[in-house]
Parts: sequence; structure tokens; C-alpha cells
Amino acid sequence: MKSFARRMIGIDRRIIFLLIAAAILLPLLKPFGLPIKVSPEVKAVYDYIEAMPERSVFFLSFDFDPSSKPELEPQAVALLRHAFRKNLRVIGMTHWLTGTGLADGVFSQVAAEMDKERGKDYVFLGWSPGGGALIISLGQDLYKAFPSDYSKTPTPGMPVLEGVRNLRDVHYMVSLAAGGAGIEMWYVFGKDKYRFEMAGGATGVIAPGLYPFLRSGQINGLIGGLQGAAEYETLIGRKGTATAGMDAQSATHFVIIVLVLLCNVFYFILRGEKGRPR
Amino acid sequence: MPEAMLPTEVVLGAWVAAGLTLFIYSFLYKDNPLFKLGEHLYVGISVGYSVVLVWHTVFLRLLWEPLKKSVGEAPASPDSYVLLIPATLGLFMLTRFIPQIGWLSRIAFAFVVGFGSGVAIPRAISSYILKQIEDTVNPLITMGANGLSMGVDLSSPQSGINTIILLIGVVSVLFYFFFSIEHSGPGMVTARVGIYFLMIAFGAAFGYTVMSRMSLLIGRFRDLITFAGAAYGYATLILLAVTVLSLVGWEAATRRKGGESTGA
Repeated sequence: MKSFARRMIGIDRRIIFLLIAAAILLPLLKPFGLPIKVSPEVKAVYDYIEAMPERSVFFLSFDFDPSSKPELEPQAVALLRHAFRKNLRVIGMTHWLTGTGLADGVFSQVAAEMDKERGKDYVFLGWSPGGGALIISLGQDLYKAFPSDYSKTPTPGMPVLEGVRNLRDVHYMVSLAAGGAGIEMWYVFGKDKYRFEMAGGATGVIAPGLYPFLRSGQINGLIGGLQGAAEYETLIGRKGTATAGMDAQSATHFVIIVLVLLCNVFYFILRGEKGRPR
Repeated sequence: MPEAMLPTEVVLGAWVAAGLTLFIYSFLYKDNPLFKLGEHLYVGISVGYSVVLVWHTVFLRLLWEPLKKSVGEAPASPDSYVLLIPATLGLFMLTRFIPQIGWLSRIAFAFVVGFGSGVAIPRAISSYILKQIEDTVNPLITMGANGLSMGVDLSSPQSGINTIILLIGVVSVLFYFFFSIEHSGPGMVTARVGIYFLMIAFGAAFGYTVMSRMSLLIGRFRDLITFAGAAYGYATLILLAVTVLSLVGWEAATRRKGGESTGA
């Protein structure tokens, strides 16, 4: 038993990589269809958007870049599908320079699919420098912060922005964030000052740090990682890439848990051997 | 039914994406020239993309075009030249590269630090400290339609029982980081409780991080599976074969070289 444990503890890490690869590949090729349970924090975002009257202003900030695409793009697609289905006016922007092209692509793709028109039903403002200062500028005058949108169309006079002067005219705001320049920044410089309701969509890495904001009501909902995106897809009744990835997610978690347990078992079997901790 | 033809640029993009993904993942075998190629391309393209976007957005859209317009419309008005102030401050930052006039950059940095602190500090105190303290000291007993009551529902964040747990967690963790008195007796118990709370928080954060990393891997695998289709010219399969053969060739060459140098 001890020699087996010794061999297992010293196993080539590349075998573990192969196990993880298999745990992802197999469910992607042949999904099991495990059920997806919707959490209250994701439901809160859905319920708020669902209750918004037609042509309300929904602001979506793409605060991520391609390195977080697998987690946050499905969230963006699901939120846009929901907003367009509710016939909301959507304003988009990004604080992440390298995410500009990605965000514009997502907007164009979902708008084409939902038969929505740029400038009339939605606008993507693009990127501008400043971070918190830009949010303050948007809170004072949207047209000074973004004189033109990403496609260089002047923002004044755009039908989608009719009656919108600044952030105070936004009915709901969601920041999809992969780091500091995202949800917290939007809350600190935006919601706290200009009093609009907001929620967040976050990568799994930063989601735990946002729960204090959720609990205190500083954000009214939180979509966390691929799981959150899959929950939102379930709510809007339209399965997408997040739902397709959840079986693989569960399978990899199962493999990781088994590996952690086995490592602990082997550790305790070998404990006390020469050169090993007691 | 034959598959719809995809535009050439989409197929080309798929080949580049699949190839670079496989090159980067080849690092899992060991550090190799294919990984290095992918890594350098990633850094170069990110920087190049950022520079072009900054030039178009910051210089052309926010500075050059409005300045040209305002000066063209009212050349005699001092307001037309107001954008020259931030432009000058920006140029001052670049004087760091010229030691003789490098001191000018301090003016720009002083502006950035002064403005940044002035804007951020009051907002951060309000959002991160006051609001959070407010939530930590929620009332244990609330007055409802049925009189006074204390919630014991663990699933409700606002229930009295969760308020108690939160309060114990905050106090014990703060005490753990309080080093002015020795952690002994009741102090040791409190600090130990604080450690348990910290461990649970770290565990939750690590669990989420694992989930996040796996999501990224799933995203790449999903793309690789898509690009393995006939519509993309079997990009993934062909490039996987190329990557594996290249690694085998590189490994053989490295071993031969190693053998020769040992023999010499």
C-alpha cells in the first residue's frame, strides 16, 4: 500500500493535466444535462430587468477583455438577449481598452440576432480613458464624455439616447467585470453619487469579494462566473454556451475533489516516513 | 446538406486562434519554442492593439478633432484652447524621458495625485467603510406585523442569526490582526475563531478561483471543438498534429544536441 501511495504522490503532473482535459472534453462532446439551480442573486438581476417598462434605459458596461471571455461573454449575451426581448434601450461601453473590439462584436451579434438597430435600440460608446473620472463625467454629461460612439456616429440626437442626459437618467446598470475597474468602481463613483440601481456580473475570481456589496444592498444582484451565466440562460429560457459548459465544469470539479481526497489519503499513509512530515 | 461556406477571414481567424491556443497549451508538456512564439505574439499584439486604440480614441477623438473644430469656429475665443491644458500636462509626463527637464513631470503627477485623491477618498470612505459598517450592525430584533421577532433563517442574509455570525466574524478577524496585546487566554480563543473565519473565506475564494480557471479552459476547448469541424478546414486536428510533430522533432533535436555535447 505504501509503495502504491509513494508512486501516486510522485505521479507525473502531466497525467493530471490529461485527466482534467478528459473531464472537460467528454461532457462537451456528450453532455449529461445536469440540472441548473438558479440562485437568488442571479434571479434578482433577472427580476429587475423583467420588471422594467419598455424603452427604459439599460446600461451595460463590458469591463473585461478577451482573457475573461469564456466566463463573461455568455453573461453579456444572455443579458443583451433579455434586454432586447424586453425592448429596452441599451447603452454599452467598456473601461477595458483591450476589450473594445470584443464588446462591439457581442453587441453587433446579439443585435442582429434580435433584429435591433444601432443608434435606435442600442449604442456602443466604446472605450475612453479615466476610469472613475470617466464615470463622474458620464454622471455630469454623457455627451461630453462620449461625443461620438464606437462607430464615430455623434451621440447627440441619437434616438436611443432620447431624454438621456447623464447617469441619473439610467434605470438599471450592470457591470460585467474581470477586475478592479468594474463593479466596485461603478458603485463608488457612479451609483453612490448618481443614485441609479445597479448589479454586477463577475468572473469567479472576483465574485467572492463582491458578496459584501450584495449583502449590504450596494448592488442588487450578482452573476458569478460561468455558473451565473448558465443560471441566467436558464431564466431567459435560452440555453447558450454557459449551459453547454456546465457539465464539463461539474466533471472537472468532481475530478479535482477526488484528486484532493486521494492526495490527503496518500499523505496520511506516508506520514511519518523518513523525509516526510509527521 | 452541405455546410454553409464561412468567410475566409473567419476561417483564417479560427486557424490562428486554434494554433495559438495549442501552442500556449504545449507549455503543459514543457517550455518549448512554440509556447515562446505564442507568448511573444500575445504580448506584441496586445500592446500594438492598445497603442492604435489609444491614438484614435485619446489623441484623435478627444483632443485633436475637438481642438481643430473649436479653433476653426472661434479662433479668437480663449475657450477654444482649453484642451491645450490637459494636452500640456500630458506632454509634461513624457519629460521623464529627458532628465534635464524631467522635473516638469512632477507638475502633471501632482495634478493626477491631487485630483485622484480628492475624488476617490470621500467616495471610498462612503462606499467601503460607512456602508459596510452600517450593514455589519444590523438590528437583531425587528418590528414586524406580528410584533418583535428575530429571524433564525440561515438562508436569509438579513436574519438575526446571520447578523450574529457576521458580527462574531468581523470582531474575531479584526482581533486576530490586533497585535498590540498578547493572544492568550480569551484573546487566543477569539483570535483562533478569527483564523477559522479567514480559512473559510480563503476556501470560498479558492473554490471560486478554481471554477473560474476551469471555465476559461472549457471556453478554449469549446472553441477548439468548433474549429475541428469541416467548415473550418479541420483547423484544430491539423494544427494539433503539427504541434505534436513539432514537439517530437524539437525533443529529438534537443536530446541529440545534449548527447553530442556530453560526448564532446
